[in-house]
Amino acid sequence: MVASSAEPRVMIALEGISKSFPGVKSLDGVSFDAKAGEIHALLGENGAGKSTLIKIIAGAYVPDEGTIRFDGSERAWASPREAKDAGIHVIYQELLLFPELSVAENIFIGNAPRDRFGFVDHSAMLRGAEAILGRVGHQLDPRAKVGSLSVADQQMVEIAKALTSDIKLLVLDEPTAVISGREADLLFDRMKTLRKAGVCLIYISHRLEEIFRIADRVTVLKDGRHVATRNVAEIDRDTLVTMMVGRSLSDIFPAKPPLVSEPAPVLSVRDLRMPPRVSNVSFDLHAGEILGLAGLVGAGRSEVAHAIFGSIPKESGTITICGIAHNIPTPRASIDAGLGFLTEDRKGEGLLMLLDAAANISAPALQEFAHFGLLNRSAEIKSASDEIAHFHIAVRGPTTGVKALSGGNQQKILFARWTRACHRILILDEPTRGVDVGAKVEIYRMIHDLAAAGIGILVISSELPELVGLCSRVIVMREGIVTGEVCGEAVTETAIMRLATKDAPAAVPSPVA
Amino acid sequence: MPAIAGPARRFTVEPALIVVTLFLAALIAVGVAVSDRFATTRNLVTVLEQAAPLGFVAMGQTLVILAGGIDFSIGAIVAGSTVFLAGLVNGHDDLMLPALAGVLMLGTVVGLANGIVTSRTGVHPLIVTLGSAAVLNGLVLLYTLQPTGKVPVWFEDFAFGRALGLPISGLVMAASFVVVGLILWKTSLGRAIFAVGGHPEAARLSGIRTDRVTMFVYAASGFFSALAGAYFVSRMGIGDPRVGESLTLASITPVLVGGTMLGGGRGGVLGTLLGVLLISVLNNLLNYINVSTFIQWVVQGLIIIAAVSIFGSGSKRL
Repeated sequence: MVASSAEPRVMIALEGISKSFPGVKSLDGVSFDAKAGEIHALLGENGAGKSTLIKIIAGAYVPDEGTIRFDGSERAWASPREAKDAGIHVIYQELLLFPELSVAENIFIGNAPRDRFGFVDHSAMLRGAEAILGRVGHQLDPRAKVGSLSVADQQMVEIAKALTSDIKLLVLDEPTAVISGREADLLFDRMKTLRKAGVCLIYISHRLEEIFRIADRVTVLKDGRHVATRNVAEIDRDTLVTMMVGRSLSDIFPAKPPLVSEPAPVLSVRDLRMPPRVSNVSFDLHAGEILGLAGLVGAGRSEVAHAIFGSIPKESGTITICGIAHNIPTPRASIDAGLGFLTEDRKGEGLLMLLDAAANISAPALQEFAHFGLLNRSAEIKSASDEIAHFHIAVRGPTTGVKALSGGNQQKILFARWTRACHRILILDEPTRGVDVGAKVEIYRMIHDLAAAGIGILVISSELPELVGLCSRVIVMREGIVTGEVCGEAVTETAIMRLATKDAPAAVPSPVA
Repeated sequence: MPAIAGPARRFTVEPALIVVTLFLAALIAVGVAVSDRFATTRNLVTVLEQAAPLGFVAMGQTLVILAGGIDFSIGAIVAGSTVFLAGLVNGHDDLMLPALAGVLMLGTVVGLANGIVTSRTGVHPLIVTLGSAAVLNGLVLLYTLQPTGKVPVWFEDFAFGRALGLPISGLVMAASFVVVGLILWKTSLGRAIFAVGGHPEAARLSGIRTDRVTMFVYAASGFFSALAGAYFVSRMGIGDPRVGESLTLASITPVLVGGTMLGGGRGGVLGTLLGVLLISVLNNLLNYINVSTFIQWVVQGLIIIAAVSIFGSGSKRL
């Protein structure tokens, strides 16, 4: 692969691509190109057509109209296999790896080197895997079981898998949604290595700051149409957001609530311990406050939330809600005490996927609609309709299932659930994960409204701009302890990051009294 | 995504219900064609009568499967109920009603124990209920190896009696279906059963007391098993330690044929009722053409595998 000093060659060019599904025109005359040795970011809200575009590039969908030119010649993929053989590899969010097999076996799945008897040549496979991992520049034992690796290492295995063939185009679909900041840095380094080797990379992410860190060009899609393609160096964040949602950045976060320091907190946590993840956490949350809980993935933030809510047992420590001890919490008791918990894992721990919107919204407060155990279904539906209207949830009606809703609308269902059920404290664990920018704006406004109504809100987030934009006070955790607290004007991304990566805290600052 | 307009659909019919109804209709058509005695009132009443024990156990199994579990102790509870009921009464006619209440309670308690162990230990219900079945079977065989006991003649009415020209056992079965259906669709407990079966962790985190739900469904299954046991005592006049043997698997067939998802969270009692009728009509027809009981087992095994292959693509675990 020779990178010419002149204009780099165009690796893939789509011309006037349209694709319709029953009832939806997913792509409408989209043109798009990406060059060799370029990282090209693809941006757009959920439903903008990114996935459809990727699947057309990968040969999983056949476009209704338009042409695909790949590496200089016009192609019409008959199957994903054909696109793959031509040198296109897609790394999806859900990794397609076999957890019980070794790294080497995964890398060579389907084309393992054979010895002359036709058996798998294990030593050749190990050597090959080592060589490929070397090319990615990643230290990994090729004998290790993939299931025992971190998600970040598993992504490297996926990339290594792509490199077993002559790869020309690599598509990464939101790889950083599942890994922490430091792991993302590593991934970006590997991407840069591939770029230098002349590979064309198409990168999808919801995180704008990543686009500015790594991408050369960015293409924005909206409602199935191509909005713009720009050099990243020539635009700023605000322009990007405006292109995506037609709103400017200053509209995203509502004004922060004032700092609260009234003496009686709604929630007090003291000396919380839950080995091995949480070794000492104390803090107070006040009515009407939006308190951030920051830290890298694995710092123990979610565990703290689960301990307060009672879904994971704690070893020791005291929890007080409005002056009343809440020391043997169960989810039911916590809800009855006025606590709501919107979990990080929407699909596994949040939504009741097989039930309808009304049942999902009413779940924690179902007794409100029951007399002697008999459900008043029409009252439940009526209430759900009100919530659906109030939160602008795009769902056909209260008796529609929630499975097919977009991430943003699913999250709004959960917001409706917890705002109905809780009246004192709301814990939000990654409230905007996998949600598009438009829905994010609405969710931020909901959080703000709840705080204004006097509810104490604890926000756990890996997205620093989110914490900085929302919270008037942020406590930071690292490896199970609170390393510090920032409030007011001092809430900045650098201040939080410094505390989150701080090595040995000299003294643990006590929470404000 | 733009807001979706349009009326909210109030009711959707599960495809499984349509399929099983069509099969049932086809079987009845075959029956009418094959034998002129099939469509007589007398025969149809017999079908209903004989459907009752299967109906009872399948109802319990429906609740358990909907809540994400499975109950393999049904056969043992049925057998235990027959011998304890007949053995306790053993000619003392005045003991009939107290013994009946006691046995129904015993079945409920055994089921409750299944539920407690399952929800407290997290051990797979397959193991828990097979284990409790072994314990119960052992106790029953210690008590008696032979069919035993004697109940008053009037108790035969449960199996053979008529009220308003309809079989009492069939009426009890229908009433039980209505009650279970009401629990499932009209109470918060029913909602919790669907929630726990579909997504135990999400249900727990939305404040549903999942352990109580689990205890309830196994206890209900134990109760219905004991009720089936009482039916057999009524029909045979004695208790038989081997009577429940084939009923455990048989209890699962109509549930799955009726479209309830193995693994929980989706399905219902209407499908089970149709499944019970389907299997009862099928057995009745096979009797007409003089097929041996063992062939009927073969047919049932094939039906259960077919049902799971057709409707079970959405099943989650187990």
